[in-house]
Amino acid sequence: MRSTTTTTMAVKSKLVSLLFLIATLSSAFAASFSDSDSDSDLVNELVSLRSATESGVIHLDDHGISKFLTSASTPRPYSLLVFFDATQLHSKTELRLQELRREFGVVSASYLANNNGSEGTKLFFCEIEFSKSQSSFQLFGVNALPHIRLVSPFISNLRDESGQMDQSDYSRLAESMAEFVEQRTKLKVGPIQRPPFLSKSQIGVIVSLIVIATPFVIKRILRGETLLHDHRLWLAGAIFVYFFSVAGTMHNIIRKMPMFLQDRNDPNKLVFFYQGSGMQLGAEGFAVGFLYTVVGLLLAFVTNVLVRVKNLNAQRLVMLLALFISFWAVKKVVYLDNWKTGYGIHPYWPSSWR
Amino acid sequence: MGGKSEPAKSESMATTTTSPDLINSSFFSFKSLKLKTKQQELLLRISILGLVYILAFIARLFSVLRYESMIHEFDPYFNYRTTLFLTEKGFYEFWNWFDSESWYPLGRIIGGTLYPGLMVTAALIYWALRFLRFFVHIREVCVLTAPFFASNTTLVAYFFGKEIWDTGAGLVAAVLIAICPGYISRSVAGSYDNEAVAIFALLLTFYLFVKAVNTGSLAWALASAFGYFYMVSAWGGYVFIINLVPLYVLVLLITGRYSMRLYIAYNCMYILGMLLAMQIRFVGFQHVQSGEHMGAMGVFLLMQVFYFLDWVKYQLNDTKLFQTFLRITVTSAIMVGGIALGLGTASGYISPWTGRFYSLLDPTYAKDHIPIIASVSEHQPTAWSSFMFDYHILLFLFPAGLYFCFKRLSDATIFIVMYGLTSLYFAGVMVRLILVATPAVCLISAIAVSATVKNLTSLLRTKQKVSQTGSTKGAGSSKASSKVTLDQSQPFQKNGAIALLVGVFYLLSRYAIHCTWVTSEAYSSPSIVLAARGAHGNRILFDDYREAYYWLRQNTPTDAKIMSWWDYGYQITAMGNRTVIVDNNTWNNTHIATVGRAMSSNEDEAYEIMRSLDVNYVLVVFGGVTGYSSDDINKFLWMVRIGGGVYPVIKEPEYLVNGEFRVDKGASPKMLNCLMYKLCYYRFGELTTEYGKPPGYDRARGVEIGNKDIKLEHLEEAYTTSNWIVRIYRVKPPTNRL
Repeated sequence: MRSTTTTTMAVKSKLVSLLFLIATLSSAFAASFSDSDSDSDLVNELVSLRSATESGVIHLDDHGISKFLTSASTPRPYSLLVFFDATQLHSKTELRLQELRREFGVVSASYLANNNGSEGTKLFFCEIEFSKSQSSFQLFGVNALPHIRLVSPFISNLRDESGQMDQSDYSRLAESMAEFVEQRTKLKVGPIQRPPFLSKSQIGVIVSLIVIATPFVIKRILRGETLLHDHRLWLAGAIFVYFFSVAGTMHNIIRKMPMFLQDRNDPNKLVFFYQGSGMQLGAEGFAVGFLYTVVGLLLAFVTNVLVRVKNLNAQRLVMLLALFISFWAVKKVVYLDNWKTGYGIHPYWPSSWR
Repeated sequence: MGGKSEPAKSESMATTTTSPDLINSSFFSFKSLKLKTKQQELLLRISILGLVYILAFIARLFSVLRYESMIHEFDPYFNYRTTLFLTEKGFYEFWNWFDSESWYPLGRIIGGTLYPGLMVTAALIYWALRFLRFFVHIREVCVLTAPFFASNTTLVAYFFGKEIWDTGAGLVAAVLIAICPGYISRSVAGSYDNEAVAIFALLLTFYLFVKAVNTGSLAWALASAFGYFYMVSAWGGYVFIINLVPLYVLVLLITGRYSMRLYIAYNCMYILGMLLAMQIRFVGFQHVQSGEHMGAMGVFLLMQVFYFLDWVKYQLNDTKLFQTFLRITVTSAIMVGGIALGLGTASGYISPWTGRFYSLLDPTYAKDHIPIIASVSEHQPTAWSSFMFDYHILLFLFPAGLYFCFKRLSDATIFIVMYGLTSLYFAGVMVRLILVATPAVCLISAIAVSATVKNLTSLLRTKQKVSQTGSTKGAGSSKASSKVTLDQSQPFQKNGAIALLVGVFYLLSRYAIHCTWVTSEAYSSPSIVLAARGAHGNRILFDDYREAYYWLRQNTPTDAKIMSWWDYGYQITAMGNRTVIVDNNTWNNTHIATVGRAMSSNEDEAYEIMRSLDVNYVLVVFGGVTGYSSDDINKFLWMVRIGGGVYPVIKEPEYLVNGEFRVDKGASPKMLNCLMYKLCYYRFGELTTEYGKPPGYDRARGVEIGNKDIKLEHLEEAYTTSNWIVRIYRVKPPTNRL
């Protein structure tokens, strides 16, 4: 049907909000009256800190926060974009902390590369790690991750959440983060520069390998003794393409489906099969594709290879086994299909037979 | 319905030539005619084919029996409208038709932007019938075109199967394709779409080409060129042919199967087919200008190089000299080709690949870059259950068929394997391309069935012979049987063969049951009339679409402009006979985005847009009362996405709450105030849809709506159909300024 597809109201992605149980900390955090570091000193220190890192993301702790934010008088000569990280939550993949942190680094590096001179000292990218700086988390009032906050020069109360980056602002990763920064700070981040997929030396090695291999390959093709001339390889390739297609692998790639889901009611249980046609999970597709392939290949095997087996008992045994497996696989697939689509397929009998 | 018992029966007849049926039927004339075994076989074959031909036709009539003789879905309405125009005004008027009733204010040049094959075919059938004094309505011809061509496809499948394997495989292929749901889904009566004739043309072209390669005959190559011409005139999917055939030729060249037969077949088919295809205005010079067709041209040039080399080899006796010559020629040919392609692309003479083509090779492309392609429901990627639904046991048989093909590799089997694998891959990318893969899957599975059954029955029959005549070697010709005579295991072998045969026939009968059920329940609904089961299991029909379109036709000024989402454009012009802003020919993304923007803006902003487009009426489809789930609210995110793609003021996240699309109280304020929401839910808050639920309970989404007190300022309700599925609003003229 040529019409617009419909969106079901499924939950797309829900931020798992996380409450931090923070013990009552000593309320005062030593409002250290640092003896009026002048602004330029602070900036210089930040620049030197930044130059020590790889992507330009400064790692701050409680001390650094107090030094560069709370005790520095407003307006500060710089904005800070703070990424709140927690190592213990890296295992929770649905938060995408590590991915976001990587993208954050990309934005930072792009900003550095595109802004030299005075522009480069107006915005600094920082990160705070939860286990090392719990009090700063409290200071910012952050109790859910992922959280990215822009602290502009005029903000004195750090609990002010106006600089928070929404989910939509990092949904498209580095690009949308850069848009957010440009919108809020009126600074130019410039084009995002991602590190290339393969480094230059790797590309060089690959190209040289190909160049060296080419004459040999051509020689063999001319002689007609390559793998290209091997039927079995082509057959294996063909079966693979078949398996790849019917297992719905393209669906998994395009929709970025996970292999399995966690049951919402019971987190320990894994869901491998998704009910509802038009959608599938990764493992589900592979399992069914495997069943398809097995039956087909068994049929070919029984009619073409098995008949040449000399040992009679082996022949009988394999034959029975093949019949049994095929029967079971077909039954299973039909059952799964009926369950998934919700259709009950039945024959039609003439009405006089009832 | 004779649909379910037919295929299994015909298979058994195909394989065992001594069927009681035949003896009975030919008994009376037995003495006078004295049919020889060969003649008996021929008679059987023809009668099976005849039965399959009829079966393929009647299996597709479920939709007419269940509903009525009408055109289905969306695109077919446009085809019907153009066919009507063609039969009324004649071919030249049709060819030069400028349609001002769609894409207002742009209009559309119909003759230059459509594939005329389907309309011309239907019109020819219509005129032929009239010439024979059968005075039928053109609509009946349109409704039955698809089943008719499906029947013809079974014949082509038979000949194709015969060409690549043997007559048995051909017969099985014909039976399988006659009832395969993957094909039926697009060819039931009333599904008057390009694919209806295109699959026939596709298979015909392939068959004729393979025949040409096998025989090396110019006549067959010429015929395949004409088949290609018909395909080009019928469907955009011809790009598949013009890429698969060169790919096939290339594989043959690489694997050292170059022959004079191939040279003749490809050159004739390519050159003539190209020249013929240029006669279709919509295709024009694409064969020499677009990147999608360049592969065919490259292979054509490569063929000339091969031919030239062959000739030089013949002239030169020195092999060493020839090797050097070969190296120089091949290198320079590839270089020249590469440079030409580079220059052509750089100068803009060769257009780059289109989005649709590109999204097939890199499937994630469309999702990121072209929402208008990604949004279409038939362009969604395929899950395994869809394959199972459309192919059933053919999926199990396919690998076995592949194995058999590889065991007996020839030019023809290589072709069918390549066709099967490429189309199956494409079917995985887009759900509608299952249709293209269906003939290949049927043919390869038919090979598996036919070869297996043949092996088994010959096993059984030689056994009988062996037991009668003693163990004389060489009685059976096939490997299996000769093996059997060596072994002393006859009872078991026989039992095993019988068990396997029973298994195969059991599977085939399941296939027949599955196909009949799927055809009857899933693929025969016209989607213009909706069917649901009532509380007592009775069938309820919702005829709201036609109600609304007829209302438009009878109650609005003839020059009224209707704005709706593009899905309903063709239907409004065909049935309502009114001008629409956008329709299913999604050629102008900006125009669609404008409509998407109007639908997702608030009423004031939308009014400005509607005024600028001279809109008089707005039509929305709403399923909240009936629980019809493919309505405009569920399509709404695509309107936002497509609108936002052109007008960045529309931002998708503003319509979502935490990435979730909601219409209840928790919905985003932007959502609650946009035009689409207001038009769908206007006065819905007063209505109780389900017992025990509060008023304003949306049954399609299962929630109570968030904004029950909707006031309209610039629009007024004009008409709402009996089940609220279609709602029409009139755009008020601007108030007088004092």
